[in-house]
This record gives sequence, structure tokens and C-alpha cells, in this order.
Amino acid sequence: MLIKILGSGCAKCNRLEQLTREAVAELGLDARFEHVREMEQIMAYPIMTTPALVVDEQVLVSGRMPSQEELRGWLQPR
Amino acid sequence: MDGLVMALQGGLDSLASYLAAHVLLCLVPAFFIAGALSALVPQQAIIRFLGPTAPKWMSYSAAAGAGSLLAVCSCTIQPLFAGIYKKGAGLGPAITFLFFAPAANILALAYTGVALGAEFAIARILLALAFGIGIGMIMAILFHDADLARLGDAATFTDAGGVPGKTLAFVGMLVALLLAGTLKLDILKSVVFACELPWSGAAAVQQTLDRWVPVNEAVGAEGLSLQGAALIALLAAIAALAWRGLGTVDAGFNRLTPLALGLTVLTLAFAALGVRVEAAGLVVSLTGRTLAVAACALALIPLARRFDVWDIQQWLWETWRFVKQIFPLLIVGVFLVGVIRVFIQPEWIRALAGANTVLANLSGVLFGVFMYFPTLVEVPIAKMFLSLGMHPGPLIAYLMADPELSLQSILITAAIIGKLRAWTYVGLVALFSTVAGLTYGAWVDGMPGWQLAAVVLGFVAGIVGVLHLIEGRRRAARGENAC
Repeated sequence: MLIKILGSGCAKCNRLEQLTREAVAELGLDARFEHVREMEQIMAYPIMTTPALVVDEQVLVSGRMPSQEELRGWLQPR
Repeated sequence: MDGLVMALQGGLDSLASYLAAHVLLCLVPAFFIAGALSALVPQQAIIRFLGPTAPKWMSYSAAAGAGSLLAVCSCTIQPLFAGIYKKGAGLGPAITFLFFAPAANILALAYTGVALGAEFAIARILLALAFGIGIGMIMAILFHDADLARLGDAATFTDAGGVPGKTLAFVGMLVALLLAGTLKLDILKSVVFACELPWSGAAAVQQTLDRWVPVNEAVGAEGLSLQGAALIALLAAIAALAWRGLGTVDAGFNRLTPLALGLTVLTLAFAALGVRVEAAGLVVSLTGRTLAVAACALALIPLARRFDVWDIQQWLWETWRFVKQIFPLLIVGVFLVGVIRVFIQPEWIRALAGANTVLANLSGVLFGVFMYFPTLVEVPIAKMFLSLGMHPGPLIAYLMADPELSLQSILITAAIIGKLRAWTYVGLVALFSTVAGLTYGAWVDGMPGWQLAAVVLGFVAGIVGVLHLIEGRRRAARGENAC
């Protein structure tokens, strides 16, 4: 799976990336990470607020920090 | 050599009186409010009013609201500004947001109110609101044609849910704490209970402090009281505890977290005590303010329990992040202001900006545009100018221009909306700030209200006239093309 973190490089965005990496490691998933910092590319997604989490081109959350349980719930293979 | 010592002394003096007097009761609660706004208010709740289909009055007021509620941190300003402009309500509200955000966030307002006086804070928010919306509308009309080309993506603005009631109650209580600590009401100043602590050494300690940090009313040096010195020590202790107690709170509460929070509340209550040094000892008086601060802080506990643990951890983490981001810059800034203060002769300021003239206001604006100070440092600088004899009018002109127009914000704006629009915006802000300073200065100087209203109305009518001309000419041009 391809995980994208959208954010201008602020503290929250780095924090979101760290949390997501932890969740991925915990679930033992095989995922590729990309931290998107370009404003143009961020604005191509239907979001207005960062940080945002995009998994396989689908926006899961934007503008707030999800909790670890929420993250695990989204990433869990179904 | 003497000059160097004097400069360092000036810097330390200003830092000591700043930490003791201004920080605690205004900035500490303000940081907690900023953290709560950032962590607990869902951004979508405000953004949904900014969609391309929203009526004009709603999108302008939502843009101003987003400015004061969401944009405490610069990393929110940039994507929100781009988002409002490219997908949402268009250039006008985007400009309103950009203008309003730095002047009206809770940290800037609280600090302005305490350091310079409530009237400056009120003037700042009212003028920023009026001019933010005004400049936004002018920009929208000036660049009307190009603005139509963009289409909004309505899906971005759906979602929903308002702001939950528990968040409102929580933030409201934090604001009450801030007000209880800073408002200058008689009921808060009244003494409820006073007692005398026998301590013969108190007077000697105060004398030592006075020697280290001399009081000098003429240059605005406030000195350092015994209570102030104790507060600085307490602040240092909070910082040491919070480093781990709040800095790593998102990985779970640790033993230091309650300690750091408890010490913060104790410090706030202690700062609200009245402490007077007398020959025989200390007179400690419990004031209305002490009780109000303590009550508000205690009332936060049941309100906080209504949130998930995760939310509270986010709140504390965000709060500490703001402190780490802003506080060091502020300390360096205040120190440097104190150093520079030694070298500036009051006569220069008085000659340049001692009266409310167009030239004085323009120089206030120019200084604000070309000097870039980090967030909030504009306030101690304004305080320095005020104590050096600057007229309140030019001071407001400077306070309006400095946070709105920095190199950084001009570059961001230019990257998103283009150079021509960005520089038009800069020109408009400079013009409006000058007018704001002149108006406020005239009001302070005692100009009658009706005269002032007439001048402002004349200015607005002039702008509307010019815009009307532009509109008319554009319409004529379009008519020719069509034929």
C-alpha cells in the first residue's frame, strides 16, 4: 500500500508520519511512505487543512491528528 | 566597555520585568487556549462555511473566524489560505483570512492587552476586522475577471458537525481564566483577606533586587519585585518539569505531567496574590483575582474529564509545542529590545512620530513592513516605542502593518495568488494601516466623533468611487469586445 502524508513540514505533520509508521510496524504491513510537501500537490487532493493522511489515493483524515486506535482500524487489512 | 555593560543591563532588565509582569497571567493561559483551539476544534466545522456556493457575507465572516480560531500556527495559515483561494470562496475571503489571522489570534490579543492596554487590543481587533474585510472586497473587485475562472470543489466543504459543546465549555473556561488573570476590574483587585508574614530579611532582598534591576519610570523600566523574582524561579521550574511532562505526553501521561500542570496552576494563583514588602516582613493579600483564577483552574478539571484521554494528550502536546515554538523567540526578542532601547534617543522618536501626522503614520507603517519580527515580538517593540514617546496613532499604524506584512507573508501570498495581486495587497495594507493610525490618533487626540466619522466615510466613499470607475470601465471594455 502507498501511504502519503500531506503537510508543509510542520510539527503536526511529522508527528502524523511517525504515528502512522508506528501503526504500520505494529501491524506488520508492507507499505511505502511518501511525505508530500509541495503546496500544489497537496491542493490536488480534496482537502483544505493539513496534516492529512492518504492511503492508496484515498483521503482518510485531514486537519486533525487521529488516535493510534483509529489509525490501526484504517490500516488493518480486511 | 561601559556602553556594552549598559546594553546588556538594559536587555536583562527588560527580560526580568517582562517575565515577572507580563508572561504569567496572560501568556500562560493564552498558550493553553491556543493548544485547545488547535487540538480540539475540528477545522471542518468552520471551513464548511467557506465553500464556493456560500453567500458573500457568510464567507467573509467565516474567513475572519477561521483567522482567529484556527490560525494560531503558521503551518495552518498557508494551506488554509491556498485552499480558500483555490477551491473555496475566492480571492476576497482568502485575503480577509490572511489579513485577520496574525492580528487577531488569541496569543497576540492577550499579549497586546496586557502589555499595552486593553484599548490597543480592542483597536487592533476592530481595525483588523474592518480592514481585513474591506481589503478582501477591494481585491475581489479589482481582480474580478480572473477570479471567475476557478471552479470550486464543493466536496471539500461538505462534512460536518459543528464544534462539540464540551469543547466550547472547555475553551470558554480557559478564556475565563485568562480574563480573571488580566482584567482590571475593581472586584478582582479588592482584598479579601490579608496577613503578615514576619520575615525581617524581606526588605533587604527587595533592596538587592532594586539594585540589580533598577526602576526607572522615565524610560519605562519596571524593576523587579520580590514576588516577580519568585515567579521567574517558578517559571523555570515549570519549564524543567514540562520538558518531559508535557513534551512526551502524546505517548501517554507520565509522572511529571500532573506535577507540571499542578505547578502551573499554583504559579498562576501565586501570581494573582498581592505581595507587599514592609520593614517587618511580607504582607500577603488574597484578592478577588486569586480566588477567580483558582476557581477557573479547578473548574477545568471536570470539563476536561468529558474528553477522551487522547484529546487531552493532544491538547497538552499542542500547548507545549506552541510554547517551544514561540517562547524562545520571544525571550530573545525582548532581550534585544531592551538592548536597543539603550541606544535610541527619545528625541528621535518624538521628532519622527511624536505627533499624529501623515508622515509619522507612514514611517510607522514602513518600519513595520521592512522589519520582520517573529510572532508576538512586535508587542514589546511597540511598548518600547510607546515609552519613548511615540504617538498612539503611528503606533497602531505600526501594529497593523508589522504582522500583516512581513517578507514571509508577502512571499507566500505571491506564490499562491501571483506577483501583481500580492503587491496590490501590500499597497492596500500600507494605505489602510496609515489611515487606521491617523484615525486612532485623531480619536486619542480628542477629535469629535462626528468629524472622525465624516473623514472615515469620505475615505470609504473615495475608495468605492474609484472601484466603481474601474468596474464601469471594465464593463465598457467588455461591451466593445462583445460587439
